[in-house]
Amino acid sequence: MALSVAGLRIELVGREITGRPVPGRPRRAYGPFLSGLPALALISLLLVPIVITVAAAFRMSDGPGLGNFAVLKEPQALRAIVNSVIWIGVALALVVAGFWVALAGRRVPRLWPALRLVLVFPFAVAVLISGAAFRIIFDPAPERGTVTALVTGIFGESPVWLGPGLFWFVVVSAFAWTWLGYVASLFRAGLDAIPADLARTVEAEGVRGWRRLLAVELPLLRPITGVVTLTLVVAAVRLFDLVLGAVPASMHDDANVLGLHWWRVSSEGEGRPAALALVLFAVAAAVALLGMRGLRRSWAVPDGAHSGASGAAQDVRTTARTRRRWAVVVAPLALLWAMPALVLLATALHDPDAAGVAGWWRAEGIGFDSFTEISNAALWWSLLSTALIALIATLLVVGIGVVTAYLLAWGGLPRWLGRAAVTAFVVLAVAPVQLYAAPLRAAATAAGVAGSPVFLGLVHAAAGLPFAVLLLRAAFASVPPSLVAEALHGQTTYSSAIARVSGACRPALVAVAVLEFVLVWNDFIVGFLISGAGSSPLSLLLWGEAKQFATSAGPVAATAVVASVVPVVLLLTTWSTVVRGLTAGTAP
Amino acid sequence: MLDRRTFLAAALGAAGGAATGCSSLPGGLGLGDTVRVAVPWSGAELRAFRTVLDRLEGVSYELIPLGDDIGTALQTRAGRRPDVVLLPQPGLVARHRDDLEPLPADVPVPNHPLWSDLLGDGNGSLYGLPFKVAHKSAIWYRKSVVREKPASWSDWLALNKDLVGSPVAPLALAGADGWCLTDFFENVLLGCDPAAYDSLARSESPRLSTESAVGEALDLLGRMWAVEGVLAGGVRGSLVRQYSDAVVEVFAYRRAAMAVVPDFAEPVIDTFAKYPDDVGVFPFPKVDLGRCGQAAVPPLIVGGDFAVLLRPAHEPARDLVRRLAGADAALPWIEEPGGFISANLDTDDSVYSSWLQELVPDLRAPETKIRFDLSDRLGRLGGATGLWRVLQDFLANVGGRGEAAVPGAVDKAIRQLADLEEER
Repeated sequence: MALSVAGLRIELVGREITGRPVPGRPRRAYGPFLSGLPALALISLLLVPIVITVAAAFRMSDGPGLGNFAVLKEPQALRAIVNSVIWIGVALALVVAGFWVALAGRRVPRLWPALRLVLVFPFAVAVLISGAAFRIIFDPAPERGTVTALVTGIFGESPVWLGPGLFWFVVVSAFAWTWLGYVASLFRAGLDAIPADLARTVEAEGVRGWRRLLAVELPLLRPITGVVTLTLVVAAVRLFDLVLGAVPASMHDDANVLGLHWWRVSSEGEGRPAALALVLFAVAAAVALLGMRGLRRSWAVPDGAHSGASGAAQDVRTTARTRRRWAVVVAPLALLWAMPALVLLATALHDPDAAGVAGWWRAEGIGFDSFTEISNAALWWSLLSTALIALIATLLVVGIGVVTAYLLAWGGLPRWLGRAAVTAFVVLAVAPVQLYAAPLRAAATAAGVAGSPVFLGLVHAAAGLPFAVLLLRAAFASVPPSLVAEALHGQTTYSSAIARVSGACRPALVAVAVLEFVLVWNDFIVGFLISGAGSSPLSLLLWGEAKQFATSAGPVAATAVVASVVPVVLLLTTWSTVVRGLTAGTAP
Repeated sequence: MLDRRTFLAAALGAAGGAATGCSSLPGGLGLGDTVRVAVPWSGAELRAFRTVLDRLEGVSYELIPLGDDIGTALQTRAGRRPDVVLLPQPGLVARHRDDLEPLPADVPVPNHPLWSDLLGDGNGSLYGLPFKVAHKSAIWYRKSVVREKPASWSDWLALNKDLVGSPVAPLALAGADGWCLTDFFENVLLGCDPAAYDSLARSESPRLSTESAVGEALDLLGRMWAVEGVLAGGVRGSLVRQYSDAVVEVFAYRRAAMAVVPDFAEPVIDTFAKYPDDVGVFPFPKVDLGRCGQAAVPPLIVGGDFAVLLRPAHEPARDLVRRLAGADAALPWIEEPGGFISANLDTDDSVYSSWLQELVPDLRAPETKIRFDLSDRLGRLGGATGLWRVLQDFLANVGGRGEAAVPGAVDKAIRQLADLEEER
């Protein structure tokens, strides 16, 4: 590259670049740290309350001590711990099931797009809403509950599904309904990214079936398995609104989980709930850090496999007979997964009077009265404020997340500091709301901002930032180092470098923005535990409608439908990009 | 409906409060007349209260539905702090008296010793206006099945015995709503031993486990619930049933004859009853059995919601409370959806539905002694992790298991209560 300026000819000679880019010393030594300030400010919204909680957990009336942890020895707490462990088992089983669905999906290429749509749909729906759908399906009255009606019709009598013992079936189904699509999609993306020539070689060597799975797919998919397992186990440990929404209050003792138990004892002073929150956090953090260790090994794969190749090209070549055989299994699964959403919609399309006493399949009372009943100023105000909260949180998370991720990826932080920051973000990403809810709520209540959308938006942004930073950092770091170095050395213009980098990182950015928006829109726990029922997010409105659950099935379902439109449309239209973004740092 | 002005006020309040953490929006913005009203209601009741406020002309309000978190309204210091709070628990009025302003002298408060007892400071000032009264000693029944209303507990047992074995079970219990079980229990306790009820209600640290009348009441209750076939849907069905489902079980599915649910079940009945003419209601009968069989008066328990003014109150807030005290203030709620009994003694009886007219005179009669819901005065011991839970377990231990199961279940419940009192 040569340049002529005022008769002077300047020639730039590039050199071969290897290893990580060395950007040179910044002009101001404290420069990089400045760009970390916004994140620090936002995160302190969590850090300060966390410190207060930790202090409260170890503070006894007679000085510091471990007395508050005696809360764990109560039978109620033991039950909650045992149940939470069972839930971890459920999460692991769901990972296996999702992997199997991803494998099955490759054998029915023509059914897959529809199947994926049906499976991912529940992921876009608030957990509270999926709890409501399953509570409607399993209602104990044979006139109203779908399953109770079916079983009564066949056997003449039906067990009480929401009653002792059997409620497990209901909540586990609801959990699976929400998460299966996420697991299957991520595994499918991983399977599709296995290089075609590798697959051909393996096939030529005659490695098939289980052996092939153990020798090729599972090792290659380790990073994705790690991410999926981590997400699900953390979701299982933090379980709260699903149990609260789907299980009748009289069963809460039996269905108790750590997150719920915290809420139930949260009125008993500060120390004991704080100790519980700390235990909940410790479990989640241990899982996350273990998961991180598993993720450290990564595989270098040409990124063409990731972005370029279409799913169809990667489908397993199968005979028509096997395709039919798999379709017989997969098609009912798709129907089953579509049902809860259809039940909600059909219930919402019945008048409140009809929906309260009769099932969604009855022809009487079809109409829009349930929607008319809920459509008042409160609903519109609630939609508006939910949108406002989600927008504030998303803008902050994307804005601050990009700056912070840049700092962590290429910002020239001392190595130890970068590592420490990443570890801190991992731990914070799985920190349960219970860990900071009580002090934040007390402060917000005293300051009179408890119900304010701006405050809730800030809290959500702080809670969502760690995950966003981790995802964006992984995406930034996966950009070829040579490109960054070229930009820094002036071989490429900044604008073209930025264009290429942003092209490579776009999926991660979309994933962060979409997931943050959808999660905040669907949030119940932050609004419920921190801001209280006085604020107006949709999920809290739904919670109010659902006080007398079965007889308000019409308004509850109608509210659920109205609340789900935005997140469902948003997530389903961007899902393939979101999956690419999520798997950016973990491609096999 | 929120008009544009209140909407703007809310939005500004939200943004202003959060951005600056400032204490309150100055009245200079022209928004100072808006009264912020925090209420414990949700769903249909919330909608009904909205119509009440809409009918008060010239009142500009913002409604804050706090649900079970209504207590937090009293902790808020600044910013989005409410001006008027509707409290369902009189205990909160006494505990937060320093944060409250006494009612203006010209607010007409129904003249009843219960209210001055619960809401007064002993010097003649009242800190809460009783707005809504709940009749918690009501039993809704199907006229076609229950030919003669039982006048006593033993009549009731005999009636149940007649019904067991028919396609219609005697009772639809709402075990999923723990307060329905506590209401049932409290009626038996009060019917059994009014003095014990009163001393528990007054006590600073009430001990249910050492009060022998509590064991007696549990025993009576247990013997009713333990009869095989007495509970519609069995124990499991009863445990997952909410109060509105109990109503549906009786009047829509018609699998049960009676439901022990308060007056505010009226709108649910109105919506779902298949044959409205078949719906009847009678007051809880007197308890004539057991050791405490001497009591001659049937129990009468009420719940209520009280309007309080947060200090410092401004004139529009005082004015709102003044107008809520009016005899006709609650008319919109009484008319649609119903299930509302005004605390104002001057509200004309004829505005109520024929069902509520069966219940209202009891509350008005000067000679009857009404008591406030005990569980609402017990604090945490009376709540979801306390008495609710104990009675749900009790129901699971006795329901349909025969009389032999009762003594053991009573002992267990007393032990659970003792543990809870120990923790306190």
